[in-house]
Amino acid sequence: MSAISELSTVRRAKATTPEEKRLRAKEASRDNKAGYLFLLPWLIGLVVITLGPMLASLYLSFTNYSLIQAPSWIGLDNYTRMLSDERFHNALKVTFIYVFVSTPLQLAVALVIALLLNEGMKGLPFYRSVFYLPSMLGSSVAIAVLWRQMFEVDGLVNQVLRLFGIPATTSWIGDPQWALWTIILLHVWTFGSPMVIFLAGLRQIPGMYYEAASVDGASRWAQFRKITLPLLSPIIFFNLVLQIINAFQAFTQAFVVSNGTGGPADSTMFYTLYLYQRGFVQFQMGYAAAMAWVLVVIIAAFTAINFFFSRYWVFYGD
Amino acid sequence: MALNRRQFLIGAGGIAAAATTMGLGACAPGSSGGSGSQGGGGGEGGKTSLALAWWGNPTRNKNTDAMIAEYMKANPNVTITGQPGEFSSYWDKLATQTAGGQAPDIIQMDMNYISEYGTRGALLDLSKVDTSKFVEGTVDSGKINDKLVGVNAGINTAVILANPKVFEKAKMDLPDDKTWTWDQMIDVGAEVASKAGVPIGVAQLINSDTLFGAFVRQHGKELFTPNGLGFDVAEAQAWYDFLLKGVKAKAFGTPEQITEEAAKILDQSAIVTGRGALQYQNSNQLLAVSNAAGQKIEMLRPPSLAGKATERKGWYKASMLWSASAKTKNPDAAIAWINWFANTPDAAGIDLAERGIPPNAEVLAQVQSKFSPEQQVVAKFIQDIKTEVGNTPIAPPPGGGTIAELLSRHGTDVIYGRATSADGAQKFVTELKSNLQV
Repeated sequence: MSAISELSTVRRAKATTPEEKRLRAKEASRDNKAGYLFLLPWLIGLVVITLGPMLASLYLSFTNYSLIQAPSWIGLDNYTRMLSDERFHNALKVTFIYVFVSTPLQLAVALVIALLLNEGMKGLPFYRSVFYLPSMLGSSVAIAVLWRQMFEVDGLVNQVLRLFGIPATTSWIGDPQWALWTIILLHVWTFGSPMVIFLAGLRQIPGMYYEAASVDGASRWAQFRKITLPLLSPIIFFNLVLQIINAFQAFTQAFVVSNGTGGPADSTMFYTLYLYQRGFVQFQMGYAAAMAWVLVVIIAAFTAINFFFSRYWVFYGD
Repeated sequence: MALNRRQFLIGAGGIAAAATTMGLGACAPGSSGGSGSQGGGGGEGGKTSLALAWWGNPTRNKNTDAMIAEYMKANPNVTITGQPGEFSSYWDKLATQTAGGQAPDIIQMDMNYISEYGTRGALLDLSKVDTSKFVEGTVDSGKINDKLVGVNAGINTAVILANPKVFEKAKMDLPDDKTWTWDQMIDVGAEVASKAGVPIGVAQLINSDTLFGAFVRQHGKELFTPNGLGFDVAEAQAWYDFLLKGVKAKAFGTPEQITEEAAKILDQSAIVTGRGALQYQNSNQLLAVSNAAGQKIEMLRPPSLAGKATERKGWYKASMLWSASAKTKNPDAAIAWINWFANTPDAAGIDLAERGIPPNAEVLAQVQSKFSPEQQVVAKFIQDIKTEVGNTPIAPPPGGGTIAELLSRHGTDVIYGRATSADGAQKFVTELKSNLQV
């Protein structure tokens, strides 16, 4: 806005006469028009591609909609049905385990690796790329297929275990007890993006704090706790918020590893996968839309909780 | 620290916006696939245009393209645009297209989906297509509420494939498929697996609603009747007991191998890789399985309760059907194309038995000499079982298409010991009933 205002012929001084006021208002409205014009491409995208479909799905969530026939209004039925839908409860459980186990683990791994890489070793760009690589590939179908083959009964993982004399006969993806954990592991493995953000954050902590602490005889651990963690806390918070939101929406890995079924025995039936099945496999798009809105509320709630608690542990420099 | 609250929030917003943009970008190539080829509209200069959608494999894509070219050559006033696809994404796309009123004019249809579309008025009445030369039992499966909305595109039947090399290794003969019972299948599977040293005797049973259907029919019931579910908890429990028995006898592999196997594509399945001796498939897959295995694969009848093949109540399955959109602007042109596919050797001479054995007996006789050796075997098999065929099962009612997934999910609980066969069967039946919209 300010750049445009500088083109203005009207002085910045306070308008006093009615004439000046009128001119000023005209000027402002022209500025606004230009501003909106610049906004337009984004605004059209937001309204047409995001907001429109979102509102449509809100409407559909109150209807019985088979995709093939026109939707018919059923009020809150879709929402009340969720209360007694056991598979829905199971999908919630699976997703919560996934989010609250994999997110902290992934961030911890990302932080540790970032700390190591921040030590200024030889060939840093190489290591940084190598550690970042999994997150470029991790959500791809190819990796999920590879994952499936690694964790089979006769997959790579069991073959390595057998080399060490462990009689491994578990199918990590075939056994309902373990299948979810292989997907959690896959998610943790893709720690690259939070790691890069951590690394950037670590670089911004002035070295003199550590020098001063060393002079005072503070141990490395004390330095980490008293300097690194507080100064990095906004970055940790940022990563936490984004990764939780991401994890709630996980779909590809579970879809590919279980061939779209969420199996074995619903053990990898993520929320989004169940939503997809309801909508496109069982032709219950109204129910699926209702599920999508419940997920929006869940994610919003957790983000709000995150922001609420952030005041107790996130330290902003100024 | 350089980052303050405001900068942080701006940064967060920026990244979120970037993420959204990338998301949108990622969507674009996928979504652009369908829209362009929507001919739909009628005559530009008297030309009729049709969109034709199918799922398939490279061979089928090639055949279908050739058929379209052939048809357009013979009918210069018709333009057909092909929309090839892959099975799993095909249905997402078709549902979305239908919802948007953009369904292709001619639709390759599957038995598990036909009533979802047919009962909701999305499919054109095809009674004008000539099915008078069709083999008995091949027309009715395409009828929904007595109205023909799907024309059988090829005959199929459930079979048990056998890998003769595994049987050789075990020094065993192939079982006599005219007399074998379900229990004997377990015995054979257990024996061949242990003697040949392979992990799996019989593969792909856990999610086979087709074999379960055969099993139920032999118990005097049906999977579905016009009133809804055609069987009871008792039959489902008997099936789960059969699965359990096979697992305990080491005939079907461990529960883990079973679930793993169920998620595999055909090229990596047990019978292809030689890790299994027997495997459930549909007959039109013999060629694909033989090619993938690079060896001869034998085809057997599914077992019967009585030990008599003539009492096994087999049926001719439509491997797939041709349907047309109820909203097509050129219903007559769509019907004409389906008629051409079903009743002329021109079409069948190109597609051969790729979509299954042609149901039109006269057409079959004219093109059979062109079949590959495997296709000849299938054609002969379909002919041989004529006396073993019972009445034609009706198409699953809306919601009934979920049967395979439910059967498999509750069956998995049973074989892992997470549920008894009685509990698993009860849950399976309850959930299936609640899915049905009759």
